[in-house]
Amino acid sequence: MSLKAFLPELTLVGFLSALFLLDGFVPKLRENRFPLVWVMVSCLGAALATKAASNLTGPFFNGMVLSNGLSTFFRYFFFFSCGATAYLTLSSKEIDSRGRSEFSILLLCLTFGLSLMALSNHFLMLYIGIETVSIISFVLAGFSRESLRSNEASFKYLVYGAVSSGLMIFGISLIYGYTGTLAYPQIAEALVKNNGAHPYVFYLALFLVYAGFAYKISSFPFHFWTPDVYEGAPTPVATFFSVGPKAAGFGALLHFILTALSQKDGNGQWTMIPGIQLAPILAVLSATTMVVGNLSAIAQTNVKRILAFSSIAHVGYVLMGFVVMTPAAFSSIIFYLIVYCAMNLGAFWVVGIVTDLQGNDDVSSFRGLGWNMPFLGVCMAIFLFSLTGIPLFSGFIGKFLLFGALIQVPGYLWLALLGVLNSVVSLYYYMKILKAMWLERPEGEVKALRLPLTQIVGLLGLAVPTIVLGLFFSPVLELAQKWVAQ
Amino acid sequence: MQFPILSLMTFIPLLGMLVILALPKDKPNLVRWTSVIFTGVPLLLGVWLYRHFDASNASVQFVERASWIKAFNIEYYMGIDGLSIPMVLLTVLLSFLCVFASWGIEKGVKGYYAMFLFLESGMMGVFCALDFFLFFLFWEVMLLPMYFLIGIWGGKDKVYAAIKFFLYTLAGSVLMLLAMLAMYYYSEPHTFDLLALAENHKQFLDKTVTLFGATYALDKILWLGLFIGFAIKVPIWPFHTWLPWAHVEAPTAVSVILAGVLLKMGTYGLLRMNYPIFPEATQWASTALMILGVINIIYGALCAMAQKDLKKLVAYSSVSHMGYVIMGMASFTTAGVNGAVMQMFNHGTSTAMMFLLVGVAYDRVHHRWIVKPDGSKGFGGIAAVAPVYTGMMAIALFASLGLPGLSGFISEALVFLGTFSNPKYQSYVVIGSIGILLGAAYLLWMFMRVFLGPLNEEHKDMTDMNWRERLTLLPLCVLVIVLGVYPMPVLNLMGPTIAKLLAALGVA
Repeated sequence: MSLKAFLPELTLVGFLSALFLLDGFVPKLRENRFPLVWVMVSCLGAALATKAASNLTGPFFNGMVLSNGLSTFFRYFFFFSCGATAYLTLSSKEIDSRGRSEFSILLLCLTFGLSLMALSNHFLMLYIGIETVSIISFVLAGFSRESLRSNEASFKYLVYGAVSSGLMIFGISLIYGYTGTLAYPQIAEALVKNNGAHPYVFYLALFLVYAGFAYKISSFPFHFWTPDVYEGAPTPVATFFSVGPKAAGFGALLHFILTALSQKDGNGQWTMIPGIQLAPILAVLSATTMVVGNLSAIAQTNVKRILAFSSIAHVGYVLMGFVVMTPAAFSSIIFYLIVYCAMNLGAFWVVGIVTDLQGNDDVSSFRGLGWNMPFLGVCMAIFLFSLTGIPLFSGFIGKFLLFGALIQVPGYLWLALLGVLNSVVSLYYYMKILKAMWLERPEGEVKALRLPLTQIVGLLGLAVPTIVLGLFFSPVLELAQKWVAQ
Repeated sequence: MQFPILSLMTFIPLLGMLVILALPKDKPNLVRWTSVIFTGVPLLLGVWLYRHFDASNASVQFVERASWIKAFNIEYYMGIDGLSIPMVLLTVLLSFLCVFASWGIEKGVKGYYAMFLFLESGMMGVFCALDFFLFFLFWEVMLLPMYFLIGIWGGKDKVYAAIKFFLYTLAGSVLMLLAMLAMYYYSEPHTFDLLALAENHKQFLDKTVTLFGATYALDKILWLGLFIGFAIKVPIWPFHTWLPWAHVEAPTAVSVILAGVLLKMGTYGLLRMNYPIFPEATQWASTALMILGVINIIYGALCAMAQKDLKKLVAYSSVSHMGYVIMGMASFTTAGVNGAVMQMFNHGTSTAMMFLLVGVAYDRVHHRWIVKPDGSKGFGGIAAVAPVYTGMMAIALFASLGLPGLSGFISEALVFLGTFSNPKYQSYVVIGSIGILLGAAYLLWMFMRVFLGPLNEEHKDMTDMNWRERLTLLPLCVLVIVLGVYPMPVLNLMGPTIAKLLAALGVA
């Protein structure tokens, strides 16, 4: 039974091991793009397995992992973003034939770790998940071995990662000391027994535990590594970092809050265990995260750094959903993650293409690109408008749902106000990229490139949902509601 | 189901955009004539609409209604009443004329006209939408083509002007978004239907919200949220600083659309939402609105007087003239509100003429200086070389300053009449009427410096208007004169709707 519920991950591991062996015995395979195609196939297989296992809900492996609707969503999410990353790496120059096999294997390992993180129902499992993800991320961030920046990125990621997981494990130990257990449901039971009177050290422990989550989702005050790592890491890696680990962090945080810190009443509503008030703290964290992300992005001149800070700002928006804690808010979070995945993957993908073309990823290398490569320019415009939250694009619907959930909670109008003003600020730096692409003319020789069909198909595959979900979002929202209810 | 005329008028330009994008790059004339067709058809439909609109009926007509997003009760809900039909007609007319006014654009013709048609769709949608969500969608979507039209085809500081316009307007819209969400969640049953919200406006009373630790009345906060969004668009002082930049840097046709149609969306929005949905809050804010209107009139006029750039002068004159609209609206009298809506239409035609005429001069001499920044003479005495041009400018100018017999007089007179008949605001009329004087001063002074006097030798080769330009201006010229003599065609259209609106406000 447990194994069956774990089928998606097992499938992934199966494919991963096979690739490992194949690569060892048939060295010729790494010459072409086989490993990346293999990654896509394994993701597809894992997604199919997810579908097969989606009706098995409940805790498994002695309560170490929890499978429910949210788990199903996060699994789909990870497998999709991993497959998409492999797809966009197909034509990347940064990951060439020398590293394709390693890259593919690491990517699959990373995805496995993400799944563990998002499914964990026990602190030990969570910690293993986080460390699996982190260690592989360090390697991936430093994947361009000759590039100093890539090495720097890897090292920075490592240092920050070590600090935050140290803090987290300290927090976990405090919680263990207080409740006598590491399993989420038992923690909840122990907390309920205390009936609202918790020692201060418990709140300290919660904050320390949050450090681990915050590092993964890059929320203030543990976001400092993000721009450096995104800038230094190869673009396909940064692309995946901006989507996968973030979502895993949110998934783990969701499971932690819902299972360890709240109770579900008969109507399917969650209420916090007495004595725990997360909303005001999360509201402040959300506000600072988006303000810091947006304000820091304004001064950047490197597109990957701009997108890194923008991804921090988006974390702030998603955290607004955590303030509300209603099923509607959780389905908004899920919806937001879905649209964020499409538009952010798209934006990073365009950056990757431009980097390969121009040799660097400064805003200046985007100059006049809209006129020389209109398809690319239009796609980038769609992704950036969507990231800003302009109607017609799915990013707007994401914000519409989140703000809609927030505005129903009395006392948090200030956060909603701050949130919408932040999206105005974000317009400024997104427009810096669009301005360069469309409003300016390139200096000197014009480089243009006919995009290969794979890239056109892929970009369309992200741009079309970005528009369609902006106009007809009911089916996806209903799906999100179903996952939350399960 | 009846003939979906409003949807056709809204989406034909959008279809035109797609057609244009599919046309070959190297045939600019084909692109231009395609745009003529795709703006011409909505214009013809507009004529049909005008003939079939039942002016005696105060409720919405030509309604199209279909469920769109069930989860949020969002509908595709289009319809027009006496408030929107003048704006709809203005939009299709100006869009059609602007296609001709843009004939001289050489750079990226395809992109230009595609964006332009996209813009027309957005504008039509704003005036027809009766579902707040739909309205908001059109409202925001307009920003995208506008950003590119100013940013790519604009003047020297186009990039700055474009981003400033975009940021300002977005700041307003996000507040509107919050207000929209709050209106949805505080209404029972939850709805975005503007007419239903107006119908049940009492439900927003006696509720409070907390913001930064203080408690406020819900309806006033929502009123303010919407108001700031619309005020930026009008623009009402002190939210006007984007306007001179955007108007001056935009290409001629886009300035025409900006001043002719986009500014009216602000006041239209106030009349469509703030007034009927929050009547009590509107009463509460009416004096403030009146003061802002007067500030707009005087401040805009004074700024216009100080300008050395012809286009900037026209831009600031828009600020001043929109002040009359605000004043008329705030007066809460039948005459005042009728005058305000009439002024929205009349300013649309007269300011469109002014911007078109400025564009004509700019196309020939490539500057717009009344007085050059170094103090030397800019234009001067060009009546000698361009008599038709001068005549057209004189008509536009006199219409704009409110000369009896031309359209501007009717609306300004109605505004002042209405405001004066409200005893609360008589003193404001006195101050506001100084604006008329200032208006005459800056316009006539400009006319003197640019057209009269000895000819500046630099411009002795300036040619008069060609036939394309004359024909572009002719319809506006006719409208300005006809509506100045006999304004009833427009007044009749909106009368019943405004009477209904005022009845809902508890006045008149």
